[in-house]
Amino acid sequence: MVATVEANAERVLDKVLAAGALGDLVVQEESSLSLKAHDGELEEHKVTSTRVYGVRVVKDDRAGIAYSEAADPAALDSMVEQAFVNATFSRVDPAESVATGDTILVTDDASLCPDDPTTVEAKIAAALYLERELTARDKVRNVPYNGVQDATVERHVFATTGRTAHSRDRVCSAFAYALLSDGDKDALEGVQSHTRRFDEIDTAWIVDETYQRCVAMLHGEALSSKHYDVLFDVEHQADLFAVFHDMFSAKSARDGINPLRDKVGERIAVDALTVRDAPLNADGLGYALFDDEGLPTTTTTLVDGGVLRTLVHNSATATHFDVPNTRHANRSPRGPLGVGLHQLEVAPGNVDETALTSGEYLEIVDLAGLHSGGNPVSGDFSYGAAGFLCRDGERTRPVRNITVAGNFYGMLNKIDAIGDTQHWNPERSALMARIRFADVAISG
Amino acid sequence: MLDTRVAQSTIDHAIALGADFAEVFVERNQVNNIATVSNQVRDIASGIDFGVGVRLAYGAKVLYGYTNRTDAEELRRIVSELAAKDRRDPAVSAQAFDFRTAADIHGAQRTLSKDSEVRDKVDYLFAADRAARAASNLISQTQGACGQREQAVEVFNSDGVHIRDTRHYIRARLQAVASNGSDQATGMQTDGGLLGWEIVETLDPKACGAEAARQALVNLSAKPCPSGRMPVVIGNGFGGVIFHEACGHLLETTSVAKKASVFHDKQGQMIANPVVNAVDDGTLEREWGSINIDDEGMPTERTQLIKDGKLVSFLADRLGAEQTGLPRTGSGRRQSYRFAPASRMRNTFIEPGTASFDDMIASIDRGVYASHMGGGSVQPGTGEFNFAVTEGYYVEDGKIRHPVKAATLISTGPDVLKQISMVGSDFALATGMCGSVSGMVPTTVGQATLKVDDILVGGNA
Repeated sequence: MVATVEANAERVLDKVLAAGALGDLVVQEESSLSLKAHDGELEEHKVTSTRVYGVRVVKDDRAGIAYSEAADPAALDSMVEQAFVNATFSRVDPAESVATGDTILVTDDASLCPDDPTTVEAKIAAALYLERELTARDKVRNVPYNGVQDATVERHVFATTGRTAHSRDRVCSAFAYALLSDGDKDALEGVQSHTRRFDEIDTAWIVDETYQRCVAMLHGEALSSKHYDVLFDVEHQADLFAVFHDMFSAKSARDGINPLRDKVGERIAVDALTVRDAPLNADGLGYALFDDEGLPTTTTTLVDGGVLRTLVHNSATATHFDVPNTRHANRSPRGPLGVGLHQLEVAPGNVDETALTSGEYLEIVDLAGLHSGGNPVSGDFSYGAAGFLCRDGERTRPVRNITVAGNFYGMLNKIDAIGDTQHWNPERSALMARIRFADVAISG
Repeated sequence: MLDTRVAQSTIDHAIALGADFAEVFVERNQVNNIATVSNQVRDIASGIDFGVGVRLAYGAKVLYGYTNRTDAEELRRIVSELAAKDRRDPAVSAQAFDFRTAADIHGAQRTLSKDSEVRDKVDYLFAADRAARAASNLISQTQGACGQREQAVEVFNSDGVHIRDTRHYIRARLQAVASNGSDQATGMQTDGGLLGWEIVETLDPKACGAEAARQALVNLSAKPCPSGRMPVVIGNGFGGVIFHEACGHLLETTSVAKKASVFHDKQGQMIANPVVNAVDDGTLEREWGSINIDDEGMPTERTQLIKDGKLVSFLADRLGAEQTGLPRTGSGRRQSYRFAPASRMRNTFIEPGTASFDDMIASIDRGVYASHMGGGSVQPGTGEFNFAVTEGYYVEDGKIRHPVKAATLISTGPDVLKQISMVGSDFALATGMCGSVSGMVPTTVGQATLKVDDILVGGNA
């Protein structure tokens, strides 16, 4: 008989307590179906399921972690023993502990993991449809990247204090990237869509939008090098904040590498910028009822009117800095206790979309080399980019083979305007009012 | 790791359901990762990943599933589920297994399963930290990491292949942060290979720390980089990422078979300047990107990709070879049992030439010397790539002038290969991780210092 996750957790935590230690256990279970099409046939059909246990023990002010994909008693016992061995090498850190309390938190399956009647056959048909319909469009050479996916992630947190938390999240997605060719010109563009229910995916929109983006970018060319006002599309504005999210990390501050570590309470951006982390906005796919220490989350204002109000903390960093815990613990079963944002929001500004897009500006819709080209420690970045030169909200010409460069932290003080409307990024993990940055270096 | 009878039963079941090909990939991956901050151990993580991946092929269609269990019932269940929409009368017969052990050309000694040697690794990282801090009082922080893993793989397939191999990976790095109170900058030194912790016998922690600190201090003093099209001299070692991104990915049958590579129909044609000779070699002893066998069980090999500017070969896995008619090159790789294999690079480099560094710099009126590179990415369909300069210098009137920061280089593969006009002799290799359809795999890049006559430099000046 196979033991349940709960029974295994009890075994692990009993062993931790028996050793005179505190501890918590993160268990992650994933199952997914993914499908890709090529030349009118299903090219890949992937069915997966996996489970991993990760324990953190704290003894004598030292923390140790270990994980196992095997769940037999011997493997779990060995995992705990290895965590204690690892702890003996770790620094003495009185701040490391296990969050107190014995709350039990469980997410609502009806909203986060809804059933829908879509069959596997219908999902296969959707994958084939994306490729077939795009391939049939004028000048489309092929659709090298396409697919649909239906994934469910279950996450459990158990602590020796009695605290437990359990979430079950379903995300369905579809994407297509088409290669359009016309003479010696070509363009590879695409879009993705993410929802909770498969039957909410609009495959016809993906086909139309992908094709339109390819056509729009096909004849793009570089433009002369100078400084422009820049609006990133929502996807890439969210990506930029993600690359530099360490600016909010109390763990990076404690490690002495967060450049904003001494700026709490100080102005770091223009008055118009307010940034929040809103994990309980259930419209987003970044919804999080609890953090990875199993503590209930809440909305946190990070930047208020340009002033940095707080960094994001877990129990250890909050203790270290002697500030309230913002419940941003982040820990995969395989990794140490860190911090992370749940669902970032840039709050609406006071400029309507017409004013936001007045005059000449560059709309950037693609960034290449996001992680290799950005340095969170210095804030410097330089990326390959593509987009559109625009005037008064109208695209006047496509632009590609350009670079955009600057210092992200410096750019927060060179914001020209913030729109009054928020938009989700395609992954629905960040809710963004669009920002118009002034005087950004563009090379072509 | 997996009972042969269970593997045979799984493959027989797949063939009985009409699959043209069936494969069972078993992996046990032991990991130990140490992270330090300054002279403290921040955390140590260790664990074991174990799983079985099952791949079926019906023509060009690939069905893939995986599990953490090893019993015959579970594996047959996965096969049945995968084949549910495609089952048909058997088209082929499964061959009896012919067991072989991969010939080990690397010979790791201080392996993870013998001893994780945490104290010794921590001492190395602390020594590197001290060396970095000794370089300047502007070095405000260091972060060290040492990761070791032991990946045992076993491959069974319906062609009768049954082979095992064990790979020992080690990598150590130190990042130094320099700060002057208002600005911060970083430098990084990384060493690694396909061997055990005996790598420490060839490493000097003082040199590691000093190099990371040197880069951080140079970058702290750097000025914004000028932008526009100009000549660039790219340093040796990790500078080879230019070939990896600009050309290597475009030669993988993963994109070639779909005609999603700009080079898919260029075999036998001149695609580069005649000074360019490029190789992807999985056989280099103890190099980070080497393997004894690929993840489809085929012994790896050395593959000449470009000879005197002419495209002579692609990188083909089993499925890619079937789809393109190209020969397999022992390049079928995957991150873990969670991924189906695909054609991937191993140790990829431009072979050394004879040009001198001084001549390259002297030939530039206005340009950049990119002595150290970061990562990058490419769109195979258009060949458009980018990669980051992590240490660079402005060059004017044939002389190196001052450090520059926040620079990136962008171009297309076909363009940049023709713009390589000089290749030096100071050949070196460097370790990296490459992400693609079959996950993240260890790859080595390499080259001697070389000159690109014209490329777009993105800067902030």
